[in-house]
Amino acid sequence: MSTVIEQIEKQISQLSSRAVKKNTGTIRSVADGVARVDGLSEVMYNEMVQFPGNAIGIALNLEEDEVGCVVLGDVSALREGDEVSTTGRLLSVPVGKGLLGRVVDALGRPVDGKGPIDSTETYPVEKIAPGIIVRKSVSQPVLTGIMAIDSMIPIGRGQRELIIGDRGTGKTTIAIDTIINQARINRQGFASKDPGFRPLYTIYVAVGQKNSNIARTIASLEAAGAMEYTIIVAAPAADNPANQYIAPYSGAAMGEWFMENGMDALIVYDDLSKHAVAYRQISLILKRPSGREAYPGDVFYLHSRLLERSARLAGKGSLTALPIIETLAGDVSAYIPTNVISITDGQIYLETDLFNQGVRPAVSVGLSVSRVGSSAQLKMTKQVAGKLKGELAQFRELAAFAQFGSDLDARTKAQLDRGSRIVELFKQPAFNPIPVEVQAAVLWGMQNNYFDSIDVKRIVEAANNLKEFLTARKTSLLDTLRQKAAFDESLNAEFKKALDEWKSSYSA
Amino acid sequence: MRASKQSQHLARQLFRLSIEDGRVSADRVAGVLAYLEKNPPRQPLVVLRLYHRLVGAEIARSQALVSHAGPVSADILRGIEAAFSRKYSRPISAVPRPDSSLIAGLRVRIGDDLYEASIAGQLASLSS
Repeated sequence: MSTVIEQIEKQISQLSSRAVKKNTGTIRSVADGVARVDGLSEVMYNEMVQFPGNAIGIALNLEEDEVGCVVLGDVSALREGDEVSTTGRLLSVPVGKGLLGRVVDALGRPVDGKGPIDSTETYPVEKIAPGIIVRKSVSQPVLTGIMAIDSMIPIGRGQRELIIGDRGTGKTTIAIDTIINQARINRQGFASKDPGFRPLYTIYVAVGQKNSNIARTIASLEAAGAMEYTIIVAAPAADNPANQYIAPYSGAAMGEWFMENGMDALIVYDDLSKHAVAYRQISLILKRPSGREAYPGDVFYLHSRLLERSARLAGKGSLTALPIIETLAGDVSAYIPTNVISITDGQIYLETDLFNQGVRPAVSVGLSVSRVGSSAQLKMTKQVAGKLKGELAQFRELAAFAQFGSDLDARTKAQLDRGSRIVELFKQPAFNPIPVEVQAAVLWGMQNNYFDSIDVKRIVEAANNLKEFLTARKTSLLDTLRQKAAFDESLNAEFKKALDEWKSSYSA
Repeated sequence: MRASKQSQHLARQLFRLSIEDGRVSADRVAGVLAYLEKNPPRQPLVVLRLYHRLVGAEIARSQALVSHAGPVSADILRGIEAAFSRKYSRPISAVPRPDSSLIAGLRVRIGDDLYEASIAGQLASLSS
């Protein structure tokens, strides 16, 4: 008992001998989540400031006689004349593996009702991106499990690949499929006890989305068993714009922890259009000069400094980014889309027309590109999908011409036929990622003309049948392919034998 | 009413005129007020409010408001004046202000800076 008393006495003696210096100010006005504060003469840009009632804010506008702060939290309790004080700290969020499986808000506080976060470390929300010297080029793949992407628009660890398209074209679905596929690969990798296996942890940042959509995403991830490798940072539409503005940076800080500690992480920003809108709202309330579409002048820097934080570091890990941008009426030349396109290392463009035609994922092969991913693509995929993009581009061109004429030569007909088969082959249902070795095997079948005799309308069914056949009856062959990661003569012969067997059984 | 840029500029100019030897001069402030009465600007109330805020902030920078719960002797106040004058490199005068809500200890405010050495303040920081 005496030790308890001693502890309290020690605490009292520490308290009574300390004088704490704070720089203070008073609230002059509060409106729309932004407080204008008199004083705070020593505040730093982006410094965290303490409002009454445990609300915190960030100093964003340092003017001659007042400071503009965005308030992260409930502003309804704040009044004119309330005291605000500096903290001397930048805004930080908890980081670490304790966040995996959790849903947190923009400040890293749990919102899933599963108790406190098991984390002792924090990282600053705003951080300067890694420089040139420490970076390493992209050479390891991020497998999305989506055949059209893994074969034609490959993504590498450390890459920034934009997912862009109109509303309702399946942008979020691609991101969720990728997360689900990582969870599957992680489970497989951990089970194999391979010492060289590098798991890919994922962070999903929901900005300005409906709560119902976020709940649906969480349910999909939970159903697929992907939550244990995923962190969800939620700043829904009901949150104030300051939280929506800060959420992607919080997610990036959580991802950076994995990267800095020699691990790999993938972060999805869903979506940066709403993020730009939230920032525009804050900037207009702060009375910053507005430019094109009323966005402030630094809206490019808003996204460039965020996406530059994704990298592959020499001797450490990587952070891959999949930002999402929503276009209006397919207009990729709008302000925010062009900004983000120019920042990222490629884009996956989803077309409404393709989506409505039943081509899902509605990836537009012509407008989609991966600038650095090809060096990260697995050899087996390269071997079977190297020419696919060109073939599909030719098919689209020919299909457009074929609409005007009925007389087509045999070669053109064959090209059109093959193109339409490839399009059918790439159709894939949502939340059903395909292992890369199965993808390669199916594409091997396509390249070796196993689908040529099948009616175009039955290609999807045939491909599904082939996948089932391979996963159920040729597991060892798929395992060999996964380990070798390339087709050699013996594998070619074995696949020929296996697909002949499938073809005879499928035709029959 | 929102202050125009001209009003803000005028208030700052008047404030600069009110400073003599690095401190706010009562004579000069009286002169400024007389000038404003004779030559009212476009937004007189706004200019006066801005001017009031600038002068108030400047006065606060040279005053140490010493809030205290128990008795504070003149020696302690002189010590505070000397210490802060040294720290800020400008003459600081201490103004005592009894405040029983502090429980014990002192709280010194100089302009925007607050030095918290009271039990109430430390309990508040513990609870947050």
